[in-house]
Formats: sequence, C-alpha cells, structure tokens
Amino acid sequence: MSAIHPAQIDQMTRHAPFDRMERSHLLWMLERMQLGYYAKGEVVVSPAQGVVERFFVIKQGLVEGEQSVADATESDTWLELVEGESFPLGALLASRSVASVYRAGQDTFCYELPVADFHTLLGMSAPFRDFCTRRIANLLEHSKQVIQAQYTQSGAEQQSLTSPLSSIIRRTPVTCAPHTTIAAVLETMHASRVGSMIAVDEAGRPVGILTLPDVLERIALPQIDLHTPVIEVMTTKLTALSPQSFAHEAALLMAKHGFRHVLVVENERLVGLVSEKDLFALQRVGLRQIGSTIRHAQTTPELQQAAADIRSMAHNMMAQGVAPEQLTQFISTFNDLLTARVVELEFGASGLIGTPIYDGMCWMALGSEGRLEQTLNTDQDNAIIFVTPDGMDAEQVRTTLLPVARRINETLDQCGFPLCKGEIMASNPKWCQSLEEWKHGFAKWIDGGAPEALLHASIFFDFRALYGAHDLADNLRQWLSRYARSNPRFLRQMSANALRNRPPLGLVRDFVLNDSDRIDLKLNGIAPFVDAARIFSLAAGVSHTSTLQRLRLSAEALHIPATDVEAWINALLFIQMLRLRHHDEVCGKPDAECLPAMDNLIDPEQMNELDRRILKEAFRQARKVQARLTLEYQL
Amino acid sequence: MKRLLQRWLAPRPSFDASQRQRLVDWLALPVADRTAPFSGSRFVVVDVETTGLNLMTDSLISIGAVAVVNGKIALGDSYSVVLQQRVSSAKANILLHGISGSEQRDGVDPAEAMLSFLEYLGKDPLVAFHVTFDETMIRRAVRQYLGMPFKHPWLDLAYVMPALHPSLMRSHRVLDDWTGHFSIHNDDRHNAVADAYVTAQLLLVAMHLCSAKTVPSFDGLRDLERMFRHATGKV
Repeated sequence: MSAIHPAQIDQMTRHAPFDRMERSHLLWMLERMQLGYYAKGEVVVSPAQGVVERFFVIKQGLVEGEQSVADATESDTWLELVEGESFPLGALLASRSVASVYRAGQDTFCYELPVADFHTLLGMSAPFRDFCTRRIANLLEHSKQVIQAQYTQSGAEQQSLTSPLSSIIRRTPVTCAPHTTIAAVLETMHASRVGSMIAVDEAGRPVGILTLPDVLERIALPQIDLHTPVIEVMTTKLTALSPQSFAHEAALLMAKHGFRHVLVVENERLVGLVSEKDLFALQRVGLRQIGSTIRHAQTTPELQQAAADIRSMAHNMMAQGVAPEQLTQFISTFNDLLTARVVELEFGASGLIGTPIYDGMCWMALGSEGRLEQTLNTDQDNAIIFVTPDGMDAEQVRTTLLPVARRINETLDQCGFPLCKGEIMASNPKWCQSLEEWKHGFAKWIDGGAPEALLHASIFFDFRALYGAHDLADNLRQWLSRYARSNPRFLRQMSANALRNRPPLGLVRDFVLNDSDRIDLKLNGIAPFVDAARIFSLAAGVSHTSTLQRLRLSAEALHIPATDVEAWINALLFIQMLRLRHHDEVCGKPDAECLPAMDNLIDPEQMNELDRRILKEAFRQARKVQARLTLEYQL
Repeated sequence: MKRLLQRWLAPRPSFDASQRQRLVDWLALPVADRTAPFSGSRFVVVDVETTGLNLMTDSLISIGAVAVVNGKIALGDSYSVVLQQRVSSAKANILLHGISGSEQRDGVDPAEAMLSFLEYLGKDPLVAFHVTFDETMIRRAVRQYLGMPFKHPWLDLAYVMPALHPSLMRSHRVLDDWTGHFSIHNDDRHNAVADAYVTAQLLLVAMHLCSAKTVPSFDGLRDLERMFRHATGKV
C-alpha cells in the first residue's frame, strides 16, 4: 500500500517535464522512486560507477557536474543543477556511464528512479519522452560526448589532470628580491636554465613574475636600462592557486587568460610554479613532439616509435571527443609525414638523391590514404609516377626505382602499415609507371569499363601526391578529370557498380546482417558514400580526393541541395566514428600491439539503442545518396 | 473523563477468522536483524495525528508512515490510514491536522486499520521524532482494537539528532528546528504522511552523520540515543 502525499506530487509538478505528464504516470513514477540524501561534496554518480543505473531528479539542493578539461569552454566549466532538474539523461538514453562526476554542491536530496523504470516511463509518457530526447538536441553531437566519457574513463592522461598541483610541482621556483637589477635576473635565468623568475618579498610572498617572452616585449624592444629594478618590468597582477587545487584548474586558468604559468601559494608564501609545459607533460605525447620526432628520425626504430605515438595520440584525441573528420585528417596528416620521411630516408640510402630519376619521381598515396580518410587500421596503397629522363626508357627507370620502393614498402610495414595483399604498392612494376603509362592505363579502364577496371578505378582514382614531384600528380589529375567527364558511359558503369553494394537496411527499416550476424561498416556503410563522392567529383571535375570535400564541392555543380549534402556528411561521419571506435576497442590500450586482424564488423545487438537509431538513419542517408546516383545516371 | 469512560465501555476487539489469521501470520514473522548495515535494512518512519496531546485521554486519528529501505526513502513503500472515529474531534484539533469530521467518521474500521498497519510494518524497527507520543498512541490502539500488547523496537530521532550535533542541542528541540537546520521543506505540516516523510529525511541525514560516532546500523543509532539520554539524564 502506498501513500504518496499530494504535496510530493505538487512539488514535482512545479518542474518540467512533470508538469505536463499525466497524473497517473506521475504517480506510477513516484511509487517507484527512492529519495536519497547526499551530503555536501558527496559523489552522486560518476563515470567510474559504469553504466548509469538511476535517473535523478533533484528534490532540494544543488548538484555540480565536473566536466573534463578537454571540452570545457569559458562559460560552462561547471554544470550546475538545481531543484527540479533531471540528470543524467544522455547517459541513461545511451545506457552508458556519465561523462562528468556529479557531486552534491550542498546537502542534497534526490529522487531516484531505477533505469528499467526510466525506460518504461519513456514508453509510457509522451511528454516525458519528448523532454528527455529533446534535451539531447543533436544525436550525433551526443554520441560524440558519450565517446568522450568512455575514454575519459580509461585515459590515465585525463585523470592526471585531476591530480593536485602539489604533486606536479617539480622544483622549488627560482626567485629574486624585487629590487634586483634586470641584468642580474637575466643572468640567473640563463644560468639556471629557467623560463621565468618570481620576485618575492622578505616574507616569501610573491610580488611579480618575469617570463622569457616578457624579455622581448618589455625589456629588449623598449630598450629598458638593464640596471632598472626587475620589479618595474614584471607582471604584478599574479594568479595563484593553492597546492590542493587540481591540475585542470591551472590548465583552465591558463587557457582562459593565456598565462603560461600559475603560481602555487600556501599561506601567502610561494611554494611552487606550474608551467604550461608541466601540464602538457601529463599528456605523454604532444602533437608538436610527434611531428618533430618524425622529421628528425634517422632509423626504423625511431619511426616505429613515432608510429606508435600517432596511434596513442589518436586514442587521446578520441578521448577528447575530436570529431571523426578532424581525427581522420590528423591520422592521415601524420601518416603522410611519416611515409614521406620513410621515402626520404630510403632514397637517401639508395644514393639516388640528386639524380634526374629522383627529381622526376612522385610517391602517391591511393585509396583511403589518398582520400585522407585513414583509420588506425589501414594497409598500404601506394604507387609511383615518374618522368623518363632523356636517354633512358621507362623500363630502365622502373628497374632503378623498384628496389627502393620495395624497401620503402617494407619499412612502412614495420611501422604498422601492413603490406597490401592485392599488391597495390609502388614496388609492384604495374604500379610504378611513367606519366604516359598511367594515362594510357587509365584511358583503357575508362574506355573498356571491365569489372576489374572499375575496381581499380575505385582505388587509383583517389590518388594524391605525397612526396617528390607533386606536379606529376597534378598533371595526371587534370587529365583524368577531363577524360572521365567526356565519358559519361564510364561514370554510368561506375554508378551501376556502386549500386550493387546496398546499405544493409531491411524492408522494415531494420538491419540486414551478413552471415555472421554482423554489419560491415566499411563495405555497407562507408563505401556507398565514398563511391558516390568519387563519381560526383569525376562528373563535376572536382580535383579533391577527400570524400567530404568531394561531396561539398560537387554539390553545387550537380545541383544537389546543400541540406542533403550535409545530411549525407553527418551520416558518413557517424559511421566513420563507429568504425574508429571499433578499431580503437580492438586495439585496446593505445600502446598495445595492434592485432593484425582488425575488421569493420559490428554486431548491432551489442549497440545501445541510441547508436542503433542513428546508424539506421545513417544507412537511410546512404540509400538517399544511391538514389541520387540512380537518378543522375538513370539506372 | 467522559472520553476515558467511553474508551473503557468500548466493545472488546472482535474480528473475523481471516483477520485473526492475519494477526497470527504477523506474529509469526521473523524479527528483523537490527545489526544489519543501512544498505541492507528497512526502517519504518512513523507519525500519528490524534484528537489531542493528552496521552491518557486522546485517541489516534491517523497514522502516516514511510519506509527507508537500504538507506533511501522508498516513496512507493509508504502507508497512510485514517481511523474511523465514533465522535469526530474538536474543531481546534481539526484545524491542526486538517482531517475533517466527515473524513474521520468515514475512516477505516480501527481493528482493520491497526492490522493493516502491522502488516505494512512487518517486524522492521520503527523510527519517530519524540517516540513517546507516537509509541503510546499506537500501543494503546493495538491493545484496544487488536487486544494484544505491542512491544516493538523504536528509535527516537529527537535524541539521535542532538547526539550527532551536540552544538545544536540547546537551540534545536522540535522537529521543525531540525528540518529547518537541514533545509528540509515540509509542505504539509501536521499531516501524518508528510510529517513521517520529513522525519524520514532527517533519518537519512542521521544515517550519513552517524558513521563517525557509532556503528552504522539500527542498534548503533539506538546506542547513540541511549548514551545521549543517559548523559542528559533523560532516561
């Protein structure tokens, strides 16, 4: 027997969405709710607790969500929830853990509903359902946050930002008296190799700071007399935190105000200094560092390390919720850098540098690498274009280049880019050709339209110059663009071929699975977009190779509405993100050995309801792209 | 005096076979483990409304109760009953608890009301603020309508709260003082369920605060209550 008091119902109905819910549903909910008490500072729900089990409504008090630093913006570092507010809707809908730690900001009472009842209520009450789903305005956006939450949980780097400053301070700060001369201060800074100097008074209280960039701006450029007391050029508006403050607080202060240093002060006395560098050291590898490692690498082990760093960084970026478009671009950019360095080193070792063969050679990326869409799991697809120097024939050049290409392919293999099983590599004589040979080959594919030609076209027409004489690739691109456009029959054949691969949606909009009850994200999800984009770009004469750019740039020429294109792009990005996440999960820890057998197969049964819904919508968009091809080429 | 006589002259408890069986079933229930941690326990927080404040002459009008299960208030596990009165209470009293004369006369048959309260309670311990009043009223009603003594473990938050917060001992005496201190709102004071609900919230706070001072269990809180009574001479 239950006796929900009318006052409890009344209190609920003061807040959305309970004010719009039917009274019987409200009672149903209340009868299943518990009222919990959380003393100030106590954790209500946190990522560490795993998949959320309860829906909370604050009866009275205040709950604060501590967002991770990665996505904190100026305005909402803190999420404050007050009486009548519900949380954590996103995590509940996606059946995942929360992204933030929710902590009682005051002594707080929360109504709590078990997750199973929450889902029943969603089905029962339309106003409740609308409220919960509308709060997550953009499904894709939400999915990104969820991923972020998952990785925040696993990423030790993230957690270290919650360590207290006292654990980060490395050495006692170098200090001086306020009236020391600038000259003496600069000498000390140089001698002790520090980037900053803090002036403290007799009591040890900090009064000013001078950093190396200040030297240029405040001393060198205004030509200040070096005998001036240093305090006169110092920043005297100081920002200090206590040793108990967290690293992310310091990071936020720096990010917000552009400081490079934050003083750590206890009882007014200076006890330490935390620099931007100290905080970045918490994240093991920085972008700039990876870039510079690659550019200066001399040996294969160094390159292998850099390749591992790229993977680890990609993992971190996923953790921070970096969008798939930027993420794949990032991976491709660094893989480009790495590949270029391998090519450079091997040509250096071959002694060809300075010869006409070297000067007339262009290393090309093909396939997904050519489209700047590499994931963590990409095998090699590459080729060489060369010009035949005077007095030589193509065969002679090829004979010279092939051994070098073979070594490049092998080194790349050692760096984690497996050799291409289909032998689509520059060390294959078929794919190490002169510009004329390439044009001749492409023309044969376009004119003939044999099944094999169509398959090759889907890989080779995504070529992109990576190292050497870029103008050769540009030349080939322009030629191809003209030639393909003048052959509508070929584009039509390519379209027919692309349409054979249907998005796996059944008649009732449910998934159609393969033999192993899984969906191939790459073949069924991504390929329809990539294939269509390639055809659109050839038809519109767009020279870009990235699928997103191809879609965006072709749209106007082909009179495709911009809203359609954006919907396609969002769908593609979502599938791409699922795929990246799948690979990343298979890889396990960022520094673990990647299993060679990484696939693109996912089991829809294993997905949460939200992801399933979005994936269905994404496949529906893939169908729309194909419908557009059908229309364009009357198939 | 008239009311006292009325009670003595009231008929002895009379209930049918099925009600008798229910009483036997209740008596046979195992006693709850009062040393269990809060996370594995059920407490019943109770509040009564009566015809007045005289323990001897006034009688029970309604019982409101809320269960605290595993350290949280289970909203669905609550109970409310208005006992059928032969004569409705005085007007001033009606204004206090808001149960109108006709509601009082339309209430549940007292024997049935007390029986269903026991069934709701089970053998789990009871909690109230100023237990003496609630306990006396319920014990008397059980004796009167069910014809048996009612001995049950009770916890008195009126002693537990000051034991946990000695500094507030002097300034905080009545329920409103304590709920005010923890900003627990009560939208309907002097309604048995609403008061029980507010008292239950105070119990949640007590459960949180007590681990520093005693074993977090019913018996731990009881020990705290006893020590405080002993120390302040309110045995």
